[in-house]
Amino acid sequence: MSKPTDLVQGTLDLLILRTLTYEPMHGWGIAQRIQIVSNHVLQVRQGALYPALHRLEQQGWIRAEWGDSENNRRAKFYALTKAGQKYLQKEQANWERLSSAIGLVLDEARS
Amino acid sequence: MRWLAAISLRMRSLFHRRAADEELDAELQSHLERQIAANVSAGMSQAEARRTAMRDFGSVESLKEECRDMRKVTWLQDFAQDLHYGLRMLRKSPGFTAIAVLTLALGIGANTAIFTILNSAALRLLPVPHADQLVTVEQSLRYAANGGSIHRNIHDDATFVSYSEYRAYAKENRVFSGLLAYSAFTETSLVQDKPKPIMGTLTSCNYFDVLEIHPQRGRFFADSDCAAPGESAVVVLSDSAWHSTFAGDPAIVGKTITLNRTAFRVVGIAPPGFDGTVAVASAFWAPVTMVKAFRPSSDYLGDDYLSWLALIGRLKPGVSNRQATANLSVIASGMNSLQKGRITTVTLGPATLLSMPSMRSILLLIGSLIMAAVGLVLLLACANIANLLLARATGRRKEIAVRLTVGASRGRLIRQLLTESLLLALLGGGAGALASMWSTAAIFRFAMAHMPVDPEIAFALHITSDFRTWLYAFALCLITACFFGLAPALRASRVDLTVAMKEDGAHSQTGTISAGRLRNFLVGVQVAACMLLLLASGLLLHGLYRAQTVNPGFQMKNIEAVALDLSSAGYTPQRAAAFQQQLQDRLAALPGVDQVVQATCIPLGNSHDMTGFSTPDKAKAREVEYNHVSANFFHVLGIPILQGRTFTDEEERSGARAVILSQSTAWRFFSAQNPLGQALLGGDPVSGKLVQWQVVGVVADAQVANLGDSSKPYIYETAGPAQQPDLSVMIHSAVSNPAIAKHMNSIIGSLDPDLSVTIGPLSEVLEFWRAPARVASTLSVILGFLALLLASVGIYGVVSYGVGCRAREIGIRMALGADNRDVMWLVVRQAMFPVLTGALIGMVLCAAASTIFSAILFGVSPLDPGSFVLMPLFLLAVALLASYIPARRAMCVDPMVALRYE
Repeated sequence: MSKPTDLVQGTLDLLILRTLTYEPMHGWGIAQRIQIVSNHVLQVRQGALYPALHRLEQQGWIRAEWGDSENNRRAKFYALTKAGQKYLQKEQANWERLSSAIGLVLDEARS
Repeated sequence: MRWLAAISLRMRSLFHRRAADEELDAELQSHLERQIAANVSAGMSQAEARRTAMRDFGSVESLKEECRDMRKVTWLQDFAQDLHYGLRMLRKSPGFTAIAVLTLALGIGANTAIFTILNSAALRLLPVPHADQLVTVEQSLRYAANGGSIHRNIHDDATFVSYSEYRAYAKENRVFSGLLAYSAFTETSLVQDKPKPIMGTLTSCNYFDVLEIHPQRGRFFADSDCAAPGESAVVVLSDSAWHSTFAGDPAIVGKTITLNRTAFRVVGIAPPGFDGTVAVASAFWAPVTMVKAFRPSSDYLGDDYLSWLALIGRLKPGVSNRQATANLSVIASGMNSLQKGRITTVTLGPATLLSMPSMRSILLLIGSLIMAAVGLVLLLACANIANLLLARATGRRKEIAVRLTVGASRGRLIRQLLTESLLLALLGGGAGALASMWSTAAIFRFAMAHMPVDPEIAFALHITSDFRTWLYAFALCLITACFFGLAPALRASRVDLTVAMKEDGAHSQTGTISAGRLRNFLVGVQVAACMLLLLASGLLLHGLYRAQTVNPGFQMKNIEAVALDLSSAGYTPQRAAAFQQQLQDRLAALPGVDQVVQATCIPLGNSHDMTGFSTPDKAKAREVEYNHVSANFFHVLGIPILQGRTFTDEEERSGARAVILSQSTAWRFFSAQNPLGQALLGGDPVSGKLVQWQVVGVVADAQVANLGDSSKPYIYETAGPAQQPDLSVMIHSAVSNPAIAKHMNSIIGSLDPDLSVTIGPLSEVLEFWRAPARVASTLSVILGFLALLLASVGIYGVVSYGVGCRAREIGIRMALGADNRDVMWLVVRQAMFPVLTGALIGMVLCAAASTIFSAILFGVSPLDPGSFVLMPLFLLAVALLASYIPARRAMCVDPMVALRYE
């Protein structure tokens, strides 16, 4: 998963939602956070990020609000909604189940 | 609540589009600035930081577009934009718009008009409250092979029930809140000052209650009116009969009127707009138990084997059609056990003015034929507009190429072109549908006024449009828009950018070849549809000509026919015989009258009798029309007796079972054997039982039953004592005498002043046969010429476009020495290929379909060589003319101009 194009759409949604559980953030911050947390493995490009944010907003998982950022610059902050939290929990559980299943298969193949 | 937020977001991006866009700009801008700041703090110079950030960002515009798409309202905005743009394009070329709208208005208007009539007749429910709860109940009977000795008498429709069956269904069912029975088309005479024919309905006494209709005056029937046969002579009048026959007399309720010699007390008047439950308007309603007063000759109430009542039930709330059918089938199986071998099937259907299967099937056939014809015209119109659009698309190649180059997607472009087509279709269709909705009722009344129908028949159809007509017109607009818009849009959006962007895109060869193929295909479709309609009109015209000039095989000159119905008037055979004798004597005494003939069915008239006949060994059996005639019938009508003799006086007096066969009937039963003296088994005209008949003569075939068809089996029986009440009379006079009808009328009036009769020249019956042919051929000729006009415009367009495209080629050819004839040949040859192919396909289609209307061709073959040669030649001539005009323009091409043009 070195290139953002490799990010499956659903996965990017999941990453964004997860990132937003801590606090409301603006787009650039979300991209930075994902990059840092993933040890620079995952780089989210604007071309994928903003359409995804708009889509999530449209679906009601997140809510947008204009606010002042750290150095008094105006920015659009995205926050997780209640529905988004529920959705994230469900999707995260799914993801964990799936990845552990894949892990099992891969581990067995190795041994 | 999630959807609420989504909707408010969507609304925002729809109505505050600019604000939403500005916001997006600001968001992306702030992202960029942050990235630059981050780059600077990572040690880049300001300029480098900006460059890197911009590079990472990629195309801002396409990113914005993607974000907008996420908001899912773009298509609406696009649509509004397309609409706006489309309107501008249509305004820019008013000539094209006018032609397209007019063509479509014609096509869609004609279709909507026909649909309006069909909808009013067959689809709309009865005009009564809660008509959706009403169902018709039809029973169809079969008899197991070896138990099939039961004779079922059928009056009007085979799906009708007998009185006892109605009573069983009405009493035992648990699914209807009420079940009514009625017998429509009860023709009788109303005696005001003089007898006048009138059409009414006999009903069960719950008729109006089940229909939930309330009287405007007086009352409707009470259960006591139907308590005992013949007891309660009461009648309800329709609103129109009250106004037309009784001048709206406010005191009519309580008065007595005379129907068929019986005094009936008027108890009520139906509300305006209610004309009964069939397509022919009812002037009165009388209790079904009074049937003896209208049809004195047989026992309608007591005959368990007579189908004469139609049923309509009102379903109880919550009862489905399936449950109702199941319940009624149980009752029907009880009836099965009473009659040996009987198998009954019960079917329910929606209650419309045309619920009777026999009427429905006629309307369905005629309706689908006319629908097909007007559909073809619409197809032609579509092909024409598609052609025009293709030509326009070629003119707009550069515009389209520019749009594609600056980043419009092909799908978006097609959508825009389709929006333009839709606009055209809605404009044209709207105009056509509106015009048809206003004119259809008037046209229908006009057509009906010119149909020769009996004066007492009025149609109960109210031709009006409803939501279904609007829906139909709208759907038609959508379909036609796709039909004529899709192909040109697909073509137009497939542009070779490099070629089109060059100066002279319109002349690129690659583009025109496949566009030309599409145009040729469209012309082929047009010609095929046009050929089909022209051939049909050719056949129908020939049929009409045949109907006007046909020799029916008997002579009708100087013969007057008197249609009598003594049996309905209550005459017993004895009284009828006395009346007939007196009438015959008085008529024969009229000046100039030399013969008086009697027959139960007037030749080519509207009454037909039919029964099964077979050879004694039952090897050959068939349904045969028969007629009871007096001995001089053949002589007066000029039908030659080929073998044997006519009936003797003795046979007439005794009503002997002697028959005279038409020639082809004799051949069918006895082939080459001598038919004289042979026996046939056939139904007795009174009891219906199988009895033996003896052949005494054979006469030449004549078209006495069907105009244009003399080969149908036909058998003549004696006019014996039992037939006296059913006989009509014809007289022959040596010279034509215009006053004779008046004399006859006064003679009959003096014999029985209450008897209503129809008197007219025998030749007038031909009108009944010609009328449908005339209407059909008028319609098909109008449609055929409309089609021809559209097709020739199409051919003209294609050829002149082709000439325009090939101006340079023609110039070169002429410069190289080709003369006018060569150029003409070149152009016309190309134009004729799709025309010939289309014409051939049209001819094949018509040959396959023309048997459908063979009934009104009067013996003209459905593959009539005259029509199949003349009409294609005619079409070809028009097509040649349509291509000649632009081809002549090609000859005038100046080679130098054409070559320099490039």
